Amino acid sequence: MDHKLIGKDFVVTDIEAKVTGRAKYVEDFRADGMVFCKSLTSPIPHAKIRSIDTSAALKMKGVLGILTADDVPQFPPPAQGIFAKDETFYVGEPILAVAAESEEIAVAAIEAIKIDFQELPHVVDPLESLFPGGPNARSGGNVAAGQIKLQTVKWDGADFATAGETKLPLGRPAEEWSYGDIDAGFKKAKVIVEENFVTATYSHNCMEARSAFAYWQGGKCFLYGSNQSHTAAIANISRYIGIKPDQLVFLAEFCGGGFGSKIPGYPNMAIAALMSKKINRPVMHRISRHEEYGIGSARPGFQGYVKMGFAANGKMVAADLYVVQESGPMATAGDFRAAGGALTLLYQPDAVRFRTVPVLTNTVPVGAQRGPGENQFVSVIEPMIDQAARQLNMDRIDIRIINAPDSDGKIGQDRGPLTSAFQKDALAKLKILGNWEERKKRSGQKNGTKVTGIGIGQGFHSAGSNGFDGLVRITTDGKLHIHTGVGNLGTHSHYSTARVAADLLNVNWENAIVERGDTRRGLPFNSPQAGSLTASTQSRTMYAAAMDMKDKLTDIAAQMLGGKPEDYVLGDEKVVSKSGGKSITYQQAAQKAVQLGGKYSGKEVPDELNPITKSAVAMIVGTGLIAAAKDKLPRVGTTPGLTCNLAEVEIDTETGVVEIKECFSVVDVGTVLFPLGLGHQIASGQILGIGMAHLERHIYDPKLGIPAAMGFHQSKVPTYLDIPPNIQWQAVEKPDPHHPLGIKGVGEPALGSGASCITSAIADALGGHLFNRTPVSADMILNHLSGRPPAHKPLQVNTV
Amino acid sequence: MIVKDIMAPFELYQPAQLKDAFSLLDSFGKDAWKMAGGYDSLDWFKDRIVRPQAVIDLTGIAEMKGIKETPDGVEIGALTTLSEIENNPIIKAKYRLLADAVSHVASPQIRNHGTIGGNASQNARCLYFRYGLPCYRAGGNTCFADTPEGINREHALFGADRCVAVTSSDGAPALTALDAKFVLQSSSGQRVIGAEEFFVGPNVDILHLTAAKPEEILTTIRLPSAWAGKNFYFEKVADRNVWDFPLVNVAAAISVQNGAIRESRIVVGGVSAVPHRLTQVEGIIQGKALEEGTATLAGQSSTRDARPLNYNGFKIPLMASLVTRAVRNATA
Amino acid sequence: MSDADSNKTEPGQPSLRTTRRSFIKGVIVSGVAVSAVGYVVYERTARRPAAGAVERLITLNVNGRDRRVDVAPHETLAYTIRNKLGLTGTKVSCDRAECGACTVMLDGVTSYSCSTLTQSVRNRKIVTIEGIAGPTGGLHKVQQAMIDELGPQCGFCTSGQVVSAVALLNRNPKPTQDEARRGMSGNLCKCGAYDHYLKAVMRASQEA
Repeated sequence: MDHKLIGKDFVVTDIEAKVTGRAKYVEDFRADGMVFCKSLTSPIPHAKIRSIDTSAALKMKGVLGILTADDVPQFPPPAQGIFAKDETFYVGEPILAVAAESEEIAVAAIEAIKIDFQELPHVVDPLESLFPGGPNARSGGNVAAGQIKLQTVKWDGADFATAGETKLPLGRPAEEWSYGDIDAGFKKAKVIVEENFVTATYSHNCMEARSAFAYWQGGKCFLYGSNQSHTAAIANISRYIGIKPDQLVFLAEFCGGGFGSKIPGYPNMAIAALMSKKINRPVMHRISRHEEYGIGSARPGFQGYVKMGFAANGKMVAADLYVVQESGPMATAGDFRAAGGALTLLYQPDAVRFRTVPVLTNTVPVGAQRGPGENQFVSVIEPMIDQAARQLNMDRIDIRIINAPDSDGKIGQDRGPLTSAFQKDALAKLKILGNWEERKKRSGQKNGTKVTGIGIGQGFHSAGSNGFDGLVRITTDGKLHIHTGVGNLGTHSHYSTARVAADLLNVNWENAIVERGDTRRGLPFNSPQAGSLTASTQSRTMYAAAMDMKDKLTDIAAQMLGGKPEDYVLGDEKVVSKSGGKSITYQQAAQKAVQLGGKYSGKEVPDELNPITKSAVAMIVGTGLIAAAKDKLPRVGTTPGLTCNLAEVEIDTETGVVEIKECFSVVDVGTVLFPLGLGHQIASGQILGIGMAHLERHIYDPKLGIPAAMGFHQSKVPTYLDIPPNIQWQAVEKPDPHHPLGIKGVGEPALGSGASCITSAIADALGGHLFNRTPVSADMILNHLSGRPPAHKPLQVNTV
Repeated sequence: MIVKDIMAPFELYQPAQLKDAFSLLDSFGKDAWKMAGGYDSLDWFKDRIVRPQAVIDLTGIAEMKGIKETPDGVEIGALTTLSEIENNPIIKAKYRLLADAVSHVASPQIRNHGTIGGNASQNARCLYFRYGLPCYRAGGNTCFADTPEGINREHALFGADRCVAVTSSDGAPALTALDAKFVLQSSSGQRVIGAEEFFVGPNVDILHLTAAKPEEILTTIRLPSAWAGKNFYFEKVADRNVWDFPLVNVAAAISVQNGAIRESRIVVGGVSAVPHRLTQVEGIIQGKALEEGTATLAGQSSTRDARPLNYNGFKIPLMASLVTRAVRNATA
Repeated sequence: MSDADSNKTEPGQPSLRTTRRSFIKGVIVSGVAVSAVGYVVYERTARRPAAGAVERLITLNVNGRDRRVDVAPHETLAYTIRNKLGLTGTKVSCDRAECGACTVMLDGVTSYSCSTLTQSVRNRKIVTIEGIAGPTGGLHKVQQAMIDELGPQCGFCTSGQVVSAVALLNRNPKPTQDEARRGMSGNLCKCGAYDHYLKAVMRASQEA
């Protein structure tokens, strides 16, 4: 099908606002009578809060009110609440907030507040908590996650004794599943790779901290938030505030970075809202970088064990994976499960056992970050695939091709189907793009004090969903209004998916208006802008809406011009009879729709629509021809976004410094929706992958439980000079058959392959040496090269 | 309770002349804080750890700015920005080592406003000290970094005395290698001291990294002509290539005659509270031919008395490598 | 931490409570004794006249215009331009001179406005993102290039990136890619948009 907009580059509508500074983020808003609030956060990693004395603070001039846990909705532990109540679980946890005429007064008031803490034992290392008699991060237990209730798990001392310091003790897991016969698999394997590994926890570090601004008007809460999703977050944010979804006006036009930490809203948003209600003033709650470190989420680290058996032809015949997750103190991250999924999908092993336990720690709350679980997994596993290839004397790309999924591939414990997978094609294409046959000869070559490493990495994340509501409208001036509730994470997919509706309806992009950013504009219930979902999910949602609009347009044409709807097709912003000659413009159709009312003007909507969509339609009813439709198009199976990258690095053997010379990426994302935007996601995935593989980390003093990587420089966010000057990419461009346009997502896997090609390349430069740890920093490389023991015990975390 | 945000109010003074600055310092005594570019100062203020009554902004004092040649070498006003030094033709021609070193400081914006005096005088970056804990360097009676669990990857190999913090300056090792003299002035006069006296370790003063007294201002840094145009080498290894402190850096000035080392000054940063000058190494290589064997010997002999902590052992091979490279690669 | 005696500590464990309290009460940093107690005043004004004490009502030259503004001694430039002059294009992200979201030009030279005292730039020409476009509102070639190359992702760091790029090209109109990277290097982007920002800088450098 020939498209005018789909697959074409365009000027993203809101980009001019960004390059001129006119784009408004939360802290840029003002209101008459606006006051400020600041949070008081815990200075102690784990303590009982025995009493809080705010009397001196409340007497201070300019102090307007204090909000504590008693004033806000409560959520059953171990959910992340708005304020700590009775017990505080990490340094940086909000305990209360003070509103004042200025931030200076609020801060001075906080300094005048006395809290009586009773210190409790704390823990920043999951294995220490699992050790017999080890501390629990919460009084109620040390293990919890979604679908795993809060409980105390201690492993046997014998598990630890057997493992020693170099191996993960394989104690009782919280979850376990398997398929196939792994024992038989390992028996027949020609090569077995068996390793223990650690991946670092690290902050999301969104450039825009999660500040919030709120006021109340007419019984509604107007909340300006920094959020990557829009309508998908409304139910949750309302719950935090304790109001009904239709009492919330949510304004989120721009979001200064989310990376998974701002998907369904977050507890902190409620502080400005509830404080505003309490003191009856508009409240700006600015979050400092220091506070953001505490509440801004982090990718949870893993401590793991893996054993993989390979047949002589390179096929992975059995795999045994154990993942211990550093979960922070709340049940906020499901990464550990995704690691098992990634194993089954990327290598399609004949037999798998997966065991896991998410352990609570007195570190900051963790959550999904671009490729949650899959990317930790590939960053340490992909170099091990190279090790198997070396032992089998196989080409390192060929071993991946043998194991990679095709469209008959399976995923997970249940061996579920895939909608499509062309990773074998992607890897084959990567060989050409990266000039593999020539380049791989440079592997291990020395140039003065430097040695070259060539690495391959892969990434996977499920990258498509369905079942959301599309909403498009043609107003009586003939303009197409595309209502989108996906949010604006910065990937530009809010516009690239909106263009799908314009494309399918033959509307010139200049005549399309994207309605977004403010729930008063009538925003339907759409996919969260997360999980690499938007491009695929929102484009099919738009497809559903466009098809509904098309039906209504031809229907109206038949009513106005005679004949049946089937006699009409869509032309250039008009409905044209197939026989030629007769047509109505979209403007005429919209005017007619207003007259007709009923399903045409939005008066009647399908019952199956989400209540949020229904109330969105109610806001625009009667303003034109309205098409609101749920995406009921078939989709069976997981839709995998798949990527593979090649990196060339040079390691200075005298200093351990890694220089990343060139990177290449090939992606299996189905039909390409927006080439420039796709390239941007691939390049940025490579860049942030360098952060994950080589730089970013958390640090905690284990004894004091205090964090030491709160700023950007301590967190080691990659800079302009840490990235390669050349990043090239291509797409496989094979459409996904379970999507009306063939589109799959890319955001998350791009980071996974970006990280794992770097860890693989570093290992390659060092003759295949596995650090089994991220990030791989210069000190680790130097210790290895100079024959010194590693500074860390193999499974130690949060130290770097 | 503690908050690490929002500066507490202070009085601000912007003297235009040194004499005004001295009288302010004398008047406020210990309640005054001297500020140059301000990047380090404001961090302390925003963390609410340091709350001076009066901040003396020195940046308006014209006599503390600029680079000029003198009969004995070059004088650099302490308020001269790192960017100016990086791009100054005299410095580039005669003391490239310093231009090179300051070009590795943090980021362009920092170099545009950060001063050489501030860079050399910056406080320790030990994470515990900066967190606001009551360690020795903060006037307390313990060290949190040098414990069985302490995080000390960035800490000292040499000269630890209760405190194990290091200098994180890129400029300081270069100034030391160039045998810079530091002019300290106060209302009662001036003194001129060498780098070895200006930079102080915890054995001398555990609360400060320099010998400047509260009432003194570092006004000028003098580079003697003796080291102008010699063979120089600077290298910094950090986790990130921008806005990061050195894990280890090295600055070397080597005077060569007939292919042999006549004299040298080799200084390593990030391994001690002071720029760590390798006088023994300098002695070992003096008179030796400038060749790979001499370079290796320099590296090998540089770390003999290192005392690593739990996590910073890697600095030993790193330092040895950087010293080797300094001798191997120093060029005019 | 403020409570003196409420906090039990396990024997042999260092007490965070005690240590912090004593620290804040009596810390000595760089020779300056610091007191945390008794702080309630909103604005501190000079108690005694002395040479160099600052006036609060000052004139700032911002984007070519002189603006009269009331500035506290401890106020940062980012705060003044965002909250008193209403120029919210300048963003504050780290507030610690690390990230560059707050980058402005002072006399043509880039600076972290979050960590610059407003009082110290009274006599400087300040240019913010709002002063980058032409006098008639036309986009600067850097801005146009950033649109053409799809420079930004989330956009929060973009104002600073644009200001740094303009300052770079003013100083060095035809940078090599490596010079451009170094010139831009004081600006962080957590989205990882560096590759596209750099392409935009190089594209702009090729425009007349």
